This record gives sequence, C-alpha cells and structure tokens, in this order.
Amino acid sequence: MQIRFLAQTILAGLLVAAAAQAQTVTVMGSTALGPIVKKAAEDYMKAHPGVQIAVSGGGSMTGLNQVTSGGCNIGISDVYATPEQDKAGIKNYNIVVQPFTLIAHPGVGVKNLSNQQAEQVFTGKIKNWQEVGGKNQKIVRVIRPESSGTRAVQKKEILHDQDFSKDVLIQDSTGAVVTTVATTPGAISFVELEHLEKNKARIAGIAYNGVACSNDAVKSGKYPVFSFGHAYTNPAKLGDPKVKQAVEGFLAYILSHEFQQNVLKAGYLPVDYVKSLKTKL
Amino acid sequence: MPDVLETSLTAVPANGVGGSLADGPSAPPAAAESPAFRHSRLRRLTDRWAHLAFLTCSLLVVGLIGGILFFLASRGLAAFWPAAGNTGRALSLSEVFLSADWSPSSDRFGILPFIAGSLGVTGLALLIAAPTGTLTAVFIAKMAPPWMRNLMRQVMDLLVGIPSVVYGIFGLTVVLPLVSHTWLADAPASGFAVSAVILAVMIVPTIVSLSTDAFESLPSSLDEGAQALGSSRWQAIWHVLIPAARPRLLTAAVLGLGRAIGEAMAVQMVIGNNPQWIALMRESTDRAPFLRALFTPAATLTTELVQELPNTAAGSTWNNVLFAMGLLLYLLTMVLILATRRLGRGKEA
Repeated sequence: MQIRFLAQTILAGLLVAAAAQAQTVTVMGSTALGPIVKKAAEDYMKAHPGVQIAVSGGGSMTGLNQVTSGGCNIGISDVYATPEQDKAGIKNYNIVVQPFTLIAHPGVGVKNLSNQQAEQVFTGKIKNWQEVGGKNQKIVRVIRPESSGTRAVQKKEILHDQDFSKDVLIQDSTGAVVTTVATTPGAISFVELEHLEKNKARIAGIAYNGVACSNDAVKSGKYPVFSFGHAYTNPAKLGDPKVKQAVEGFLAYILSHEFQQNVLKAGYLPVDYVKSLKTKL
Repeated sequence: MPDVLETSLTAVPANGVGGSLADGPSAPPAAAESPAFRHSRLRRLTDRWAHLAFLTCSLLVVGLIGGILFFLASRGLAAFWPAAGNTGRALSLSEVFLSADWSPSSDRFGILPFIAGSLGVTGLALLIAAPTGTLTAVFIAKMAPPWMRNLMRQVMDLLVGIPSVVYGIFGLTVVLPLVSHTWLADAPASGFAVSAVILAVMIVPTIVSLSTDAFESLPSSLDEGAQALGSSRWQAIWHVLIPAARPRLLTAAVLGLGRAIGEAMAVQMVIGNNPQWIALMRESTDRAPFLRALFTPAATLTTELVQELPNTAAGSTWNNVLFAMGLLLYLLTMVLILATRRLGRGKEA
C-alpha cells in the first residue's frame, strides 16, 4: 500500500517536472547584461505563468559557447559571435545599446580629443598630455584584457583596428579600471557611460570630436561610439516547439517598446534609439 | 557499573578477532544478551562503514587530482595537436614556449612573458620573504620573551588566513598610489616591485610559522653547547642553529614559493597585466634597465589565466594555449611539492 503510494507520488512528481521542463527557457552569459535580462524575465513570467525563465551568468563567451552547443536556449553577450559560431547557425538579436566614453585622471588638463588624437594616444604615437594641449605629464593607457568586449569596441571604434601601444596597464574589470584611472596621474581609459556617471567625483570624462558622451548625444546620432548588447539563439537546437515559442515570445518582449523603456534605468539605451543610424559594429 | 564498562571495552577486540560472537569462550555468559554485546556488534558495523567512508573519501581526492591533471592535459595539449573539437590551428612548441609575442587576436601565442613574469615575481618575493621570515622565526623561537612569543605566533596564524584579494585591494588603492607619488614622480608603480612586496607579505607568515617550528624542535643542547664553548649569541644562531634547522627552513621557503607562484588575485590587481612587457623592455633605451623592469607593468601565468580564460571560446587556439599554461602551472607546483618532500625527508637523514 505504502509502496504504491510512494510510486504514485514519484511518478506524479516526474510528470510535473517534465511538464515544467518543457516550458523552461535557460539564459546564460554576460554578467553585465544579466540584471536587465533578469528584470525582463520576471515581467514575462508574471504575464505568462506557464513559462519559467532561468537566467545565469558565466560571461559573454560562455553564453555564446553554450547557445552554440545547445547548453542553453538563449546566450547573452557583449560581443559578436566568432565566425565559427556564426557558421553553426546561431541567430543574433540586438537587445540594448551601450554607449562608451573616454575617461581620464582629473588632473590631465584635457577636456576633448579629436578622433585622430584619441587614436594616436592609444596606439602610442602621442606619449605626453602636452601634445594634445594638457599638462606635461606622461600618458598612462589603462585598457581591458584582450578577450574583453569593451576592448573590442575600443579597438574598432577608437583605434580603427590598429594595435594598441605596448606600453599599457591592463585591468580585468571596469571597477579596477576606474580605480586605476582615479589614482594614477596621467591615466586615460575607455568605459561604459554609466561608470563615468557613477564615478564623476573621481574621474573626468573626455569629449570625443567635441561631443561629450550622453544618452541624448547617442540618440541624436552626434556621438558615434556605442555597441550592442546581444541575445543569441540556436534555432536548430531548440527542439521542442513549446520552448521555441517561449524563447521567441520572450525575445519579442525584450524588444517591445514597453520593456525597452526600462533599460534606460540600467544604464543602457533602447535599441530603437539607434535603429535609424547605420549599425557600425 | 565500572565493571560493565570495562568488560564492554575489552570484549570488543577479543570477540572481534575470534570468529562467532555468541559463543566466544572468553565472553562472560551474561554478556551474550547484555547491552555490552549489542554495543560491540554495533561498533563493528560502524567500524566497517567508517572504513568504507574513509576509503571513499581518499579515493575521491586521488581521483579528483588525477581528473584535474587529465582534464588540463587533454585541453592544454590540444594546442599542439590537431585534436577533436579544435576550431583553431595546432601550434608548434617553439612558437609557444620560445616566443615573447603574445597577441592572440593576431594569431601569435608566445607565452614566454608569462613564464618569465611568474618566475620573476615569485623569485623576488622569496628573496624578500625568506630572510625576513627566517630571522623573524629565530627571534620568536630563541630571543623573544614568552608573552611576545605567544602574541607573535597568534599574529602570524592570523595573517596566514587573510584572503589574498584583501592584499590586492590594499595594494591597488594604497601601495600603488603611495609608491608612484613618493618615488616615481607620479609615473605608475605597477610591476614586479610592488607585486613582489605584496606577495612577500603574503608568504612571510607561512615561512615564519614553519621556521619557528623548525627552531623550536631543535634540542636546546645545541644552543647551550655552542654558548658553553664560548660562541656569542649571533655565532650560535648563525653557525649552529640555522645549519641544524636548514632542511626544514628550506621546506618552509619552498612552501612559501608554492603559495606565491599560484597566487592570482592579489598579483593581478597590482602587476599591470601587460603581456607585451618583454617587447616593451627591449624597445626602451634606459640606462638602468633592471630598475625600469621593476616598475614596468608585466604579467604572470596566473594573472593571464584569471583574466582571459572565462572569455575565450572553447576549442579555440587561444583557449587551448591558456589550458596549456594551466598545465604548466600545475606541473610547476607539483615539482615544488615534490621538492618540499625531498627536503623534508633530508632532515631525518
């Protein structure tokens, strides 16, 4: 009697678990994009009680690796997929816009760099702040590691695909970059706009081609340095049509006008701000 | 009551050896159904299970270590052979181990800067920490008054437990700006010098603890004998105590070295992480290249791993080379541990 009851309970539990499994969407990847995607997931689950969305971290490349191999349904990433991953048939959705700005130690005495000056500062042609109208102070270039998404954006947008100078300081996280720039005289770096806004007391923003980075400047098309936050899916590995439906519904919700209003609070811009602009990355 | 307890204690081994429990001739007749008998059977069962649990745990640990080695080797060696799952090309050994040019996005994978960086920074750290640690240990073991000895030992034990990231934050926010402002005319201070000092501070407590044990375990007759023969305090320490404790002092130093070479967080925050440091040094035309090298942002095996490994695609050449660096680090640590055992064995001889 007891055994039969136990068996029934286990069977019922398995069925429930299987049913729940069919509706679970797994999201992995960028820790930077995590919070905003989590917020979207909460809203979406409230509106669609049958769907479970599990968001976890791991880093942009983990997200891309996992979505390519079918380890998760959606991979979120700050960087574009590698050519190999593209070949596997994964599909890109640009979900948010991320503006970037040049920052420097407050004492350098420079408020603006032209695009040519900025390029030469980072390639190492310009070595002293005096050469761009500042103090007689050696330039200390603080950048992110080679595998970082921010560095990829910087290389493309600021250095126009040239190599960085060999004389650089590298810090692993944006937090460490900000601390280093704040405490090192002559330091210059390149970070997401929100980090400048959070640390205005310690570091100074530098305008690019005479335009200071701001949400409005990006929106109006005057400020050209930004990248996209990406969500990738692998249609071939989604399998169950129910999961596929949930994934598509969730991505449509993230891209909806309703949700895109929320991303401003998280330091991003809605994608439709720049839809009219040519996509440069 | 004490009698019962006693029989139950003695009954266990006696019955345990002699076959059947129930009719063991040595057991008192009343014991057949007594609590003592049931107790002993329970204990035998517990013993057997405990044995199994211990065995499982130790096998698990051995398996884990072997598994990690196998995993590192399979991923790391894939950098040099066209293995399954590789998306990149296979490299030759010389372009990895003999090249100082590390720029993975341009398909160049020389890891010499990291090997040199790891060896350089740990060597410098040991150069600072070993004499300091040994002399501190001499002081604690042979000179300090008892209250101070107790205090110092406790402080050292406390220091061993401080997480490395705390040292890193301290280095990044306090030491670097201070050094840069005081000695370098505001040029950045990141590099070997500050990293080595931070590492030295981290490993001194380990060295002190082990070296103090070494000195305290020496028979006091050595010290007394030397002084009775007319040697000064300093001569007794330098010519008698330190040579006598040498194997264990070396063990302490090697253990400290092991901790230093594997350290990632603290070093990563202060060293500057510049993989191009060798090329940069070569370009410079300074008159004091050694001094300059101390304050050139550099990189080590651990710092590069911690920064890049999570952000590279699995199976790519870049990722494979990082695993090869991990394997190298593992083997280096293994060699150090084996050296420790060798030196430790030397003390008995």
